[in-house]
Amino acid sequence: MSLAVAAKTDASTAPAILAATGLSARYGHIHALHGVDLQIGEGELVAVLGPNGAGKSTLLRAIMGLSANDGEVRFRGEALPRRDPVAVASRGIVLVPEGRGLFSPMSVSDNLELGAYRLGDKAEFKRRRERVLALFPRLKERLGQVAGSMSGGEQQMLAIGRALMAGPKLLLLDEPSLGLAPRVTEEILETLGLLNREGLAIVLVEQKAPLALELANRVYLLSLGRIVAELDPRDITSHDDLARHYFA
Amino acid sequence: MADWSYIPQVLVSGLGIGCVYGLIGIGFCVIYNASGIVNFAQGAFVMLGGMITHMLFARNGVPLPLAAVIAIAAVALLGVAIERVVVRPLWNRKATMFVMILATLAAQIVIERLTLIAVGDQPKTLPVFTDRPPLMIGGVAIGFQLIWIVGGSIAIVGLLAAFFSLTKTGKAMRACSINREAAALQGIPVSRMLALAFALSAALGAFAGILITPTQYTAFNVGVPFAISGFIAAIVGGFGRPFGAFLGGLLLGLLQALAIVGFGAGLKNVAALSVLLLFLFIRPSGILGAAK
Repeated sequence: MSLAVAAKTDASTAPAILAATGLSARYGHIHALHGVDLQIGEGELVAVLGPNGAGKSTLLRAIMGLSANDGEVRFRGEALPRRDPVAVASRGIVLVPEGRGLFSPMSVSDNLELGAYRLGDKAEFKRRRERVLALFPRLKERLGQVAGSMSGGEQQMLAIGRALMAGPKLLLLDEPSLGLAPRVTEEILETLGLLNREGLAIVLVEQKAPLALELANRVYLLSLGRIVAELDPRDITSHDDLARHYFA
Repeated sequence: MADWSYIPQVLVSGLGIGCVYGLIGIGFCVIYNASGIVNFAQGAFVMLGGMITHMLFARNGVPLPLAAVIAIAAVALLGVAIERVVVRPLWNRKATMFVMILATLAAQIVIERLTLIAVGDQPKTLPVFTDRPPLMIGGVAIGFQLIWIVGGSIAIVGLLAAFFSLTKTGKAMRACSINREAAALQGIPVSRMLALAFALSAALGAFAGILITPTQYTAFNVGVPFAISGFIAAIVGGFGRPFGAFLGGLLLGLLQALAIVGFGAGLKNVAALSVLLLFLFIRPSGILGAAK
């Protein structure tokens, strides 16, 4: 097993920031993930695509230690605790969950502050906050507003902004485009692309494949809880190509 | 027939006891918000606040303010101990609300009986904090202890409001109550927040117990009635709403006081429980609407 992992690491250009081996997870008695192996390189933007119910959210939750899971996840070579999302988050892995998980009755400003809960340094806090507000200028106008009262797009921006306040080393995003207008989705994905070019490693789970393919360095296709293909997005030239892989 | 000319005087004393119910109700809310747990050991905190202060002051000659501070700190520690020993093991096993209520009630009874063994069944009291004749305002006597109770309660409510809206720790506790999983994903140590919630509501209970003891008495078995009144205050205010619980406590205190005049002291608990039933039937989400 470890040999196979090493071989794969050599195959990708960057050293792995995250490596999962034999990751399985279940919800109650339903197995939603079956022995998934995957690698995320330093600075990589990896898209995980797949139909509804493929286990994409479960995969991200299993990495965070949120769902009952087996297998091993290594972060920069060190094994992550498996049932302790607080510990995983404090290592610098931040998940923007499905549905965003905002503290809706609290203000935008408070949400951002809580994203940096573990940060003690005031100057660094200010720096990060200014950076987030520069990335998402719309949040700047709404700092005092209750998070739940904003539009879906603004809420998604806040969720990503809050995640960035933690100063993540690896950012996991669960369908950030869900329910958003195409224009807003594009704006958000552009920002993610920018962050990635600055060196942030990102795992992007998406149903809207074309958008994710534009950004991704690499693509995993997930189906029925297994990785069925690992692709270079440049090889996928049409929707038919992708569909072929789904059903291969 | 009752003599209604006493009404203003009665309302004033109802206000005092109402503040205490309110503080206890806030204690219920703080723990409920952090964890979804209804902690029926809340009454033990109230009893021990008065009892420990009495033991330190009357038996060991510790000055009253110092005795009170030590008692509050000791009860806060006990709150953390209950969280660790009773609540957390069950919480980790995802015990149901019903199990939690029983377990905390059991903790309440254990503390009550241990207190009985330690100090006996005789009621204990504390001197009033300011020993001066009551102020007379428009024919209504306002004792200094009442001023302490009302002033102390309002100060605590203000401090709590500031804690929850201004400090990072307070905001993190609120975040846990809004969405515990999302809070964990931000790296907020959710289980430490639960311990903190127990410390905070234990301290609140002890403070309430110390405030009220000079006007009544404390004994090993005063905890449960206080817990029930505080619980009613929390329900009436809208469970999980600290400020609502305080309003609920005031309302309950005033109604109880009126019931004593109208129907006699024996029916004071009937009045309180009737209020509870009334709210459960007509407005189960309370004055302000339940937090969840």
